[in-house]
Amino acid sequence: MLEQLSQLWRNKTAIAGLIIIVVFILVAIFAPYISPHDPIETSLYDQLKPPFWYEGGTTKNYLGTDDLGRDILSRLIYGARISLMVSVISVSLAFFFGTLIGAISGYKKGWIDNIVMRMMDIILSFPYILLAIVIVAYLGPSLKNAMIAIGITYVPRFARIVRGSVLEECEKDYVTAARAIGASEFRIIFLAILPNCMGPLIVQTTLNFASAILDAAALSFLGLGAQPPTPEWGAMIAQSRSLILRASWVMTLPGLAILFAVLGFNLLGDGLRDALDPRMRD
Amino acid sequence: MDKDNLLDIIELRTHFFVRDWIAKAVDNVSITLAPGQTLGLVGESGCGKSVTAHSIMRLIPQPPGKIVGGKILFEGKDLVQASEKQMRKVRGNRISMIFQEPMTSLNPVFTVGDQVSEVIELHTNISKKELKNRVVEMFKKVGIPDPEKRPHEYPHQMSGGMRQRVMIAMALACNPRLMIADEPTTALDVTIQAQILDLMNRLKSETGAAILFITHDLGVIAEMAQMVAVMYAGKIVEYADVKTLFENPRHPYTIGLMKSIPVLGNNMGLARLQTIKGSVPSLFNLPRGCYFSNRCPDVFKDCMTTSPQICNISKNHMVRCLKYA
Repeated sequence: MLEQLSQLWRNKTAIAGLIIIVVFILVAIFAPYISPHDPIETSLYDQLKPPFWYEGGTTKNYLGTDDLGRDILSRLIYGARISLMVSVISVSLAFFFGTLIGAISGYKKGWIDNIVMRMMDIILSFPYILLAIVIVAYLGPSLKNAMIAIGITYVPRFARIVRGSVLEECEKDYVTAARAIGASEFRIIFLAILPNCMGPLIVQTTLNFASAILDAAALSFLGLGAQPPTPEWGAMIAQSRSLILRASWVMTLPGLAILFAVLGFNLLGDGLRDALDPRMRD
Repeated sequence: MDKDNLLDIIELRTHFFVRDWIAKAVDNVSITLAPGQTLGLVGESGCGKSVTAHSIMRLIPQPPGKIVGGKILFEGKDLVQASEKQMRKVRGNRISMIFQEPMTSLNPVFTVGDQVSEVIELHTNISKKELKNRVVEMFKKVGIPDPEKRPHEYPHQMSGGMRQRVMIAMALACNPRLMIADEPTTALDVTIQAQILDLMNRLKSETGAAILFITHDLGVIAEMAQMVAVMYAGKIVEYADVKTLFENPRHPYTIGLMKSIPVLGNNMGLARLQTIKGSVPSLFNLPRGCYFSNRCPDVFKDCMTTSPQICNISKNHMVRCLKYA
């Protein structure tokens, strides 16, 4: 494990990703203390103020305001909270059910494995954003339902990875040894085999954080996720897209926020994969 | 059948079903084991020794394997009929197992101490502190130096011999009545092998457990066992006490095995080492009649058509060969 950590440490892009994520998490946690304004407070006199480096920009609103006079910096800061919450909850959901399903079908094999994995294949065969749209349309548009929808669409990714690792681990002698000391099946699957499958799972989780942020923004952009006036990055882009020629910053800035958050998780995820997968090691 | 026997395996048959084929990996095997006795089970790779051992523990992967017949009477109860829940109470507690590869039989992500305490936790109710003491005590018992510190190490930090000692500590942690050792010294070098065998013999006399010792090394058998069963293609071909078997082997296969042991200093370089011609037949394609007929030096006409039954030729000496029928 130490060796892998030092491998990760030597990987500069992964460290860059880690720094972005840490900043992102700190911003989300301390949002009320660092945001200069209330994110949903409108101000009729400050509509569409540009960022401070533009002509006419002031330091009252560092990154300008939107068409209702709301401070963009504050909205972005609070948006980090929402993106983080969405990704943590939906990925946890997918992680929990995916790991459960994958571990059981990988260990049990036979008809259970067949039925469960074919179901996963069916879910995977849909373009996942389309599936998420269907689920949200059925449950009704809200941030909570968007998280559930993203969680469900991500389950097969985890299930497949865990199943593959479990199938491989099952052949190893320590599993027979665990059975030979009288351990129950539950114990063997979750306490003996699963800890050995953590490498690929950690990588998958990190990479899925990135896509969860992106998908939540996409659903909100389509009006199926966060509802106004929630300061969600995707929703912010959607609400300001008619202004792109007049006040491009209103749309560009939340776009950049999404870009950096996704980039951070992807860089770290790739770095972790290189560090944890012995085949990728030089 | 003696009532005092610890283990009575009666006509055990374990078959593997692969598509339309049936591999009779264990075919009518009957062995008995008295308390405190060591029975050696010898044979070439693939002759069914390990499958016999796994059948006793009911660890045959199912499918494709299945125990299709026979009885495994352990302490008077038939393990073939036992439920999975009952088996879990037997495994690791009344019967324990030592595996061939100490390198892979320990879980790489847990410390060895955790793995030994897991066995004790599963079968007894003792406090955390007592548990820790028990683990240190077990490590001391199996001769691991520095028994206070070593439980905190991970398997990869230990040598093969040390890991096999940990496996033995796990196997003995709950004072089992029967220990199944599935080629426990095959993966170790000769000096460590001798140490491990000494250790097993010592612990056996201390705890009074019986051992089912599986190996293909006749030298090890001579050192460890009181009774020996020689297996060939899923059947027991000769079954005798160790002295009789080594002094007076009767089955042509056993005789061949004995002749193929190199003797140090004895006509070195003068005579070539004898071998048994051919190789073990595939379980899917066994010869008709006696399974050994295609390799047997003493083969005669009836061997090709008649399957020999196992029969007593003297007290404590059974042979499956038409020569003695």
